[in-house]
Amino acid sequence: MTDPVPLPAGVRDVLPVEAAELRALGDALAGAFRAFGYREVMTPLIEMADVLDRAQEDGLGRAYRLFDDDGRVMVLRPDLTIPIARLVATRMGEHPDPVRVSYNARAVRPPAHGKIEGAEQRQAGIELVGAEGPDADAEVIAALASGLAAAGVPDARIAIGSVAVVSAVLDGAGADADARQALWDALRGRSVVDWRAAATGLGAQGPARALLGDLPSLRGGPEVIDAIAGAFPNAAAACGRLAEVVDLVERHGVPAPMIDMGVVRDWSYYSGVVIEAYAAGAMAPVAVGGRYDGLGARFGRSRPAVGVAVALDLLHHAVGRGAEQPDTGVVLVGGSDERVDAASLLRALGVAVVGVPAAYDDADALALADGRRFVVRPDGARWSVRDVISGADLALDDLREGPWT
Amino acid sequence: MDLRICVPLGALFEESLGVMEGVGLPVAPLRDAGRRLIVEVPDGPTYITTRPSDVPTYVESGAADIGIVGRDVLLERQPDVYELADLGFGGCRMAWCTPEGDDPTPAALERFGVVRVATKYVNCAERFFASTGRAAEIVKVNGSVELAPLVGLADGIVDLVATGRTLRENGLVERDPIFESTARLIANRVSHKMRAAELDELVRALGGGAA
Repeated sequence: MTDPVPLPAGVRDVLPVEAAELRALGDALAGAFRAFGYREVMTPLIEMADVLDRAQEDGLGRAYRLFDDDGRVMVLRPDLTIPIARLVATRMGEHPDPVRVSYNARAVRPPAHGKIEGAEQRQAGIELVGAEGPDADAEVIAALASGLAAAGVPDARIAIGSVAVVSAVLDGAGADADARQALWDALRGRSVVDWRAAATGLGAQGPARALLGDLPSLRGGPEVIDAIAGAFPNAAAACGRLAEVVDLVERHGVPAPMIDMGVVRDWSYYSGVVIEAYAAGAMAPVAVGGRYDGLGARFGRSRPAVGVAVALDLLHHAVGRGAEQPDTGVVLVGGSDERVDAASLLRALGVAVVGVPAAYDDADALALADGRRFVVRPDGARWSVRDVISGADLALDDLREGPWT
Repeated sequence: MDLRICVPLGALFEESLGVMEGVGLPVAPLRDAGRRLIVEVPDGPTYITTRPSDVPTYVESGAADIGIVGRDVLLERQPDVYELADLGFGGCRMAWCTPEGDDPTPAALERFGVVRVATKYVNCAERFFASTGRAAEIVKVNGSVELAPLVGLADGIVDLVATGRTLRENGLVERDPIFESTARLIANRVSHKMRAAELDELVRALGGGAA
């Protein structure tokens, strides 16, 4: 027996069936994004570590680091929003506002110990740069909803929060820097209990006090926004904008997103609306994103921006097995040597042909393994055709008359 | 699909049942479960029973929608889940404890530059010593932690203290409290949104976590 062949922790191979399903999901999303005018871009697999340090005040998080010949630190991209912000700021700086770009690529992060999350994450997403209005937020949410529907997620749900609303509420409650830090940590840690403990210490009174304690649990429709604006008048502008986003999303003809003040992102560059999408069967949100107006300036070109990324592997779990694809195509015995002409003829008709030598004797097993429906053998001047699914045999004079489609 | 609730076996089990009964969940089938690990109540929730330290794993992965777990386990495992309510029971304290008499910690730090710590809670112990600026060598043990300082495996232990009886019986005293712990209600990130109405109602019934 040979020694086991290990892979690095957290990565895996993708075999033909899964690859085809992931490809179909990516194509469905790309189609929806294209319909909103987004054009695909590709960024390098490796970036200078400086690019990530610029984007995150607290420095580089989990990432695989490499060194170039001059000893400079590089990273395998742990995220796609930051490289795309760099690309748009530096390479498309002269492009008139707004810039609409999409991507379908892999981000790589060292796996966290004891977590199911893989090291490689396939992400398909969009970024809308140079548009600051609520219409831009709404477009990104609508494009996401339309993409998830196209991908065949039966029951996706989108929730949005707002860093701007939470920030205004904290201002209104008179939170100092320490209290703000404690509250943001609680929110990012998704602990309603810690939030409540930290909020109790603030000076808010009356309805504002009750609302502040409940903030991360507040969710629902427009009434949530009204309640916040009522208790914290200084948050009215941020609340009004969120309400406008919800209204605009509905006018795109997709379901209104749920408003949920507990939705926050871990990365500090988010500045406005925050987006998450969920689907039954996926253990974590299938899509995350939001507004990050400050990111472009860190690459020398200040432009407001909003975007969202779909995690294809999670989405794949949520859609489960797609519509059963009927097996198609032909294994042609002799198709790689004596009857290459016949293989070419069938391919010209649009039939997928697996050519094997005339002496090949395992064609039925190969057809089943590869998901090909028919095995075709030359039989004198005629052709014998076996349907490997039904087991039926038939004889043909002319391959063009076959039951291929 | 019905709500899947992950319930910890062991010390928190009985009081977890009490709290669930208090909000109208049918827990009788769970009391009579015997050795079954999954109890499906017709037209009701499905209960999944596990070791307490596995509760966050089941909830984070979505195998359970919600679960009951001690704050000690949350701080040790740091799962990406919503912590919805403090259920108030199961009170205890994570603490640094060493043999009675002179505290060996300063001497160990002065002479060896490091203090040796035996614990089941490796991450909590590491964070505590790092945050107090002391170097620590963590030795992971899986049970009877109190034994370690008595036989010279470690200078002391980081462990949960409820009544303090086990400490006293083994000649250990508490030197530094690290954090207080009680049982918490946690929810999977996706379940928290897909079953929003149901879970909000449950948290309201529990008293909004104000316990």
